[in-house]
Amino acid sequence: MLELKNVYTSFNKGTVDEMNLFKDFNLKINKGEFVSVIGSNGSGKTTLLNLICGTYDLDDGKILFEGKDITKVKEYKRAKHIGRVFQDPKKGTCSNLTILENFALADNKQKRYSLTKAISKKRIDYYKQIISQCNMGLEDRMNVKVGALSGGQRQALALVIAGMTDIDLLILDEHTAALDPNSSETIMLLTDKVVKEKNLTALMVTHNLRHACAYGNRLLMMSGGEIIMDKKEDEKKNTSINDILTVFNEISIEVGN
Amino acid sequence: MNFLSACDVFLSQGFVYSLIALGYYISFHILDFPDLTVEGTFLSGAVAYGLICSNGINPFLGIILAFIVGALFGALTGVLNVKLKIRPLLCGILVSTMLISINLVSTSVGLVGDFTVSGETSIPYGRDVVTLHSTKLFSFIPARLRDFGNIGLRDLVIFFAFAVICKILLDFYLKTKNGLLLRATGNNTQFVKMLSCDPGKSKIVGLAIGNGLAAISGALYTEINGNVNQSMGIGMIVIGLASLIIGISLFKKVKFMKDTTKVILGAIIYQACLTLAQKLGVPSAYNKFIMAVLFTVALLLSGKLKFKGGSKNA
Ligand SMILES: Nc1ncnc2c1ncn2[C@@H]1O[C@H](COP(=O)(O)OP(=O)(O)O)[C@@H](O)[C@H]1O
Ligand SMILES: [Mg+2]
Repeated sequence: MLELKNVYTSFNKGTVDEMNLFKDFNLKINKGEFVSVIGSNGSGKTTLLNLICGTYDLDDGKILFEGKDITKVKEYKRAKHIGRVFQDPKKGTCSNLTILENFALADNKQKRYSLTKAISKKRIDYYKQIISQCNMGLEDRMNVKVGALSGGQRQALALVIAGMTDIDLLILDEHTAALDPNSSETIMLLTDKVVKEKNLTALMVTHNLRHACAYGNRLLMMSGGEIIMDKKEDEKKNTSINDILTVFNEISIEVGN
Repeated sequence: MNFLSACDVFLSQGFVYSLIALGYYISFHILDFPDLTVEGTFLSGAVAYGLICSNGINPFLGIILAFIVGALFGALTGVLNVKLKIRPLLCGILVSTMLISINLVSTSVGLVGDFTVSGETSIPYGRDVVTLHSTKLFSFIPARLRDFGNIGLRDLVIFFAFAVICKILLDFYLKTKNGLLLRATGNNTQFVKMLSCDPGKSKIVGLAIGNGLAAISGALYTEINGNVNQSMGIGMIVIGLASLIIGISLFKKVKFMKDTTKVILGAIIYQACLTLAQKLGVPSAYNKFIMAVLFTVALLLSGKLKFKGGSKNA
């Protein structure tokens, strides 16, 4: 469903800081795959997600989505079929709007943002029901500005919002990193549930090796803008945290709880 | 009596200028866009309105035309910023500079049909003929009731009505899907993109509304001013921003009041201060100076010395 072909990406081209991150990078993700992506800091995980979503342009190469070339398609247009939770908890929600207003906006995705009332009373119970799955008590705080929530709560809301509408691809960038161990488990379970229920294809960057092993059906490890490990299905099931750690040995990463 | 007439003046001006401030509420407070276009669009609104009225056409059409003209040039500022990636301040400077000529030529063409502008530069204003409250729209009200007080008082009622109507419409708009999207655009463009919406489009819409309101303000101001002259727009940025910031920061703690109400009150307080300075005997040549000083004080009080809407950091 998603294919990156001969992708080249660099930063600060033409300056002394020039950095060529991706050189002839290739990746194919099939429908229904739930891909965990691991790798040390600066290995290019976030950049990969940014390229897929259209936040960054490529220097060269192609991105295909459902067979269509989307290399030149603008970020906001690609977003029609993509849900995304960012590494930065501030990015996935709108801080000056209430939880309810964030829901109302997200609920309207793929429809017209017209001059009709944004909040429909009939939907409030539905919003409360989905946010209650996070077990954070947010369902009782629907009229609180999102800016007043903690990073973890915002991230939980961002996940729920991202998975609410009819999308094909879910992009998650260390979405549990800002959460306490308990919430982190809750959110991972919720993520898994959303992906399975909606039959989504998902790409999840995580520093939690246990999550990377336990969830999903494909495992990628990145280093220096390259994929240095790619394990699918059974091969992934047979990979233990220790196997990964051996590959990782000289790279310091935060091992999950 | 003296006090009453002073109230009349600052209330009238306060309500008229509150429309610019409401415009800035959209462009500056919500979208975080320091919009300098208003100097030009304020005058454009006045010119459009003046030309309609001086040709004997219904003044309410003049108001509508003023809004359209203001909105178009506001949108142009937005397009320059969004599509050509020109910085906000420069966009405003470019469009308002452009408008100096456009306003001058329209005045001349509208009055004497002269493209080369050797004709008129100001539109005289037949006050008793073309005031808004003497239009057909209100002819259902018996003349006895319609002609209460003096012209100044009748104008005041009209200005008050405009401020309140614009406030109510804005409040309504900001609760619609489109309005919510606008608020999200000023806060988090990445979020808007993930909703599969173009934040650039929202920004252009917001700037159009902001400048449309500034233009209506200009149109109404002609009623106070008695004519349309080419220097009318000068100082409007300070008036609009100062009113906005005074209103929002002074009533920050007041929870039950809508922001739009605070903005209108801010505009009135600002005009009251200026009127007070005049009553204390400060010559009118010092007006703009006092305006800027009051604005600085307002900025200091609100702790908003940075050129920022302040809604960014949660
Ligand atoms: N916008 C940018 N400008 C310059 N360098 C960048 C930018 N984004 C990423 N990089 C660089 O690319 C490399 C990979 O970054 P990133 O994809 O964020 O890594 P991570 O795997 O930790 O998510 C890093 O060295 C980073 O400095
Ligand atoms: Mg990263």
